[in-house]
Amino acid sequence: MRHLALVTLALVLAGAGVPAASPGGMARVGPGVLRLVYSPAPGVTTADVGAFALDRLPVTNADFLSFVSHQAGWRRDRVGRVFADDGYLAHWAGPMELGPDARPDQPVTHVSWFAAKAYCSAQGKRLPTEIEWEFAAAAGDAGPDGAAEPGFRERILSWYSRPATSELPSVGQGQPNFWGIHDLHGLAWEWVLDYNSTLVSGDSRSGKSADRLPFCGTGAFTAGDNEDYASFMRLAFRSSLEARYTTRSLGFRCAGDTEAASR
Amino acid sequence: MAPRSILTGLLGMVALVMGVGLLLVSTQEASSQSQTPAKPAAAVTAQAGAPIEAVLTSAPEVPPPITRRDPAKVVVHLEVREVNLAISDGVEYTFWTFGGQVPGKFIRVRQGDTVEFHLQNHQDNKMPHNIDLHAVTGPGGGATSSFTAPGHESQFTFKALNPGLYVYHCATAPVGMHIANGMYGLILVEPPQGLSKVDREFYVMQGDFYTVGSYREKGMQPFDMQKAIDERATYVLFNGSEGALVGDKALKAKLGDRIRIFVGNGGPNLVSSFHVIGEIFDRVYYEGGSRYQENVQTTLIPAGGSAIVEFKAEVPGTYVIVDHSIFRTFNKGALGMLKVDGPENKLVYSGKEVDADYISEKAGPQSTAIASAASAAEKGTLDIKTQIAAGESLFKGTCSVCHQPHGNGLPNVFPPLAKSDFLMANKQRSIEVVLKGLTGPVTVNGKQFNSVMPPMSQLRDDEIANILTYVRNTWGNQGEQVSTAEVTATRSKIKLPPGAAH
Amino acid sequence: MRAMAIAVIAGLLAGGLATAPPAPAQEHRHESMEAASPRGDSIYALSASLVDQRGRPVGLDVFRGHPVLISMFYATCPDACPLLIADLQRIESELSPRIRADLRIVLVSLDPWRDTPEALLALARARHVDESRWRLLRAPEDTVREIAALLGIKYRRLPDGNFNHSSVITLLSPDGVIVARDEAIGGPHEALLRGLRVARSTPSR
Repeated sequence: MRHLALVTLALVLAGAGVPAASPGGMARVGPGVLRLVYSPAPGVTTADVGAFALDRLPVTNADFLSFVSHQAGWRRDRVGRVFADDGYLAHWAGPMELGPDARPDQPVTHVSWFAAKAYCSAQGKRLPTEIEWEFAAAAGDAGPDGAAEPGFRERILSWYSRPATSELPSVGQGQPNFWGIHDLHGLAWEWVLDYNSTLVSGDSRSGKSADRLPFCGTGAFTAGDNEDYASFMRLAFRSSLEARYTTRSLGFRCAGDTEAASR
Repeated sequence: MAPRSILTGLLGMVALVMGVGLLLVSTQEASSQSQTPAKPAAAVTAQAGAPIEAVLTSAPEVPPPITRRDPAKVVVHLEVREVNLAISDGVEYTFWTFGGQVPGKFIRVRQGDTVEFHLQNHQDNKMPHNIDLHAVTGPGGGATSSFTAPGHESQFTFKALNPGLYVYHCATAPVGMHIANGMYGLILVEPPQGLSKVDREFYVMQGDFYTVGSYREKGMQPFDMQKAIDERATYVLFNGSEGALVGDKALKAKLGDRIRIFVGNGGPNLVSSFHVIGEIFDRVYYEGGSRYQENVQTTLIPAGGSAIVEFKAEVPGTYVIVDHSIFRTFNKGALGMLKVDGPENKLVYSGKEVDADYISEKAGPQSTAIASAASAAEKGTLDIKTQIAAGESLFKGTCSVCHQPHGNGLPNVFPPLAKSDFLMANKQRSIEVVLKGLTGPVTVNGKQFNSVMPPMSQLRDDEIANILTYVRNTWGNQGEQVSTAEVTATRSKIKLPPGAAH
Repeated sequence: MRAMAIAVIAGLLAGGLATAPPAPAQEHRHESMEAASPRGDSIYALSASLVDQRGRPVGLDVFRGHPVLISMFYATCPDACPLLIADLQRIESELSPRIRADLRIVLVSLDPWRDTPEALLALARARHVDESRWRLLRAPEDTVREIAALLGIKYRRLPDGNFNHSSVITLLSPDGVIVARDEAIGGPHEALLRGLRVARSTPSR
């Protein structure tokens, strides 16, 4: 009986969005409304976000090593070229060995979308959608909308203006945001499930409406919030990617349904 | 048949056979030669079909002029690097560069060339990048076809249809930030006949930079988006850093060199008023186009534009390169140097010829007469002779500029003081004129004058007293002393015109 | 002719053998990864379950052994998709009969919500496509995303159920390796025509 009460209490607390005490595991994010930096259809400037669960921390080198040891098809010496390019896990000393340039607690980078997706599937999870990720990342320390907090956007922009040559810090240092999520900014870019949903032509100045023929569709691509440069830059970055690409600054974390948030 | 003709015929046949035989032999030799390794080929000139790898240079160097007569296929490999460099002494900035430096590499091709362009984004970079070359006729200037993630390479091909000096820059969102971080350079498309021969060519590119800290505030400075939007530049620089063209990195030329500078302006915001102190541009290909203007002191270079300036180094020395929106030079770093070596040429520029005394109205070290007058006034023993002597000294420094050293004035311009009826008629009035100035028609010694005498109220009361005592007692004027007290009293009674010093 | 038929059948068999799963791995999705075609560049390495316009279950490699033109669309698309189909038919008409007979065309729907097999069949009939050589396929949402990722196609589902998507026709070799891509709808598709005239049905190596 007491166990049941405790479990119920835990579930209730989890449902209420109280962040768990320990890092790692998932946290519940949302529900809420995301202000879009683009307009996928005329007049549409926001998107509703249902509640979902999100990894508190990015996936680390240690996590990914464990995955590769169970799924040999994802070793860098075995993976098909359509699923990952030549930079896949290039920073590891060997196909099954991290080495000095890949600390276990650093976010894993040099991974492709296919590899990230396979990892999340193996955990019974999935990649977050772009809207889910942006919604989680919009939060500041005190609330779901960090734009109101001074210095929020500047801090993010200053990370983008530093080159990727410095060593990636370990995950989980510093404060989590309002939802209890760490490291959405300042560590690495992160894959999303629908990374290829942004129809930007290679030239970002092509005016407001997407060319109709190469991009079939009814929507106009207009900038919503002109001041949110960080989101613009993430949009631009994602639109330069193919699913098999890996880069030094690109990692990921997993998402899931809200039931998973109690883990 | 005569025996000779038979002989001739036989000889002819033998010759024929021998000839054929020789021919056969030589053919065999030739074919056997072709079986042996080929002899080394003679020097091969580049054909239109064989691709040429473009020579790219870092500023201020320029690739050599194109000498081939025909268009060719040119291959360009340009790598984007995000690097931390010094923007000023002790000030670091993260630049995004084409080729490792700001400005990006100089590309030199010929009109009609087919350019195969490879844009490489180094794997250590964080940002995607692309390139828009103003020399390209096509969507986005190449930007649509060159959008590249870090660790990858894009390729596109264009034909250089128009000659001229063109800017290239990154066009990835947010575009202003990519440009502000230094992603620009120049591509020169030479006309078929090439450019006229000069002795030295240089590459200079201006840009404005926006940092969170103020000008020369030390340390690692991040980019300031709001300042960029407001167009409040922190630095305005040639070639990406404050010391880029100064000291031992100054541009160097020899006396007599014909010099050409390819000047670009990456912006992102500011237009340049490009000027070289001490030089006149013999030719300016304004806006980097095909026509030139001559004898230009300062030329405008639009943001995202260029100009080609040409001049001859006639006089040795150091020439300062500036943006003549001059606070940018003195307070934001828009300063470079060109050093010309060689023997002096005094016919064109003499250097300093006279180093003479010049006593201004506020003379530094006081002349003896003025000093004596001052001390006498203190003691209360100031006599007219001392005043006159002091007044003469002061007059020379101030009034003689217009009224001339001997008080004769300039006919129709400035009235005389010598034997002046107007001056001597009214002592009080003469004090007021010195204090307030005088405009409008006056008649002096029967001549009309209509000019402007500015107020001299900046002179001290004792100085005015001494000057007036001098002029009213010299050049045939028979007058009296004017005392300091009189001047003081007059000053307190009158109203000085606006703008007059107090 | 018969020799070619034998060769094609042999090729199909060989291809089929190549994709037989090996020892089971923990995650069934990646069985095909380990058994990947010897050429790691083939998109047929993706294990996917789709359904065609007749309701038949097929894999992405339904036409392995043939050169394939593959693209993505949705049946209710008003602008580019009708043009896409017209373009594919025009490419067909510009080929010699021999090459055309060899060619196969695969269209994968972006819209599993509305594009049921019945809807796809109705579209195929309305546009008079040759069903012996064309397949219109429906895949689950996640598989659609993976196929688009392999083909470099961008798309977004809009609030009203329509799609923004890029229009790309990709030419696959008989092994499923991407040989050429063309993003210009309505254009001459030179790269695709050139590739088709070179590609032949071959048995998988």
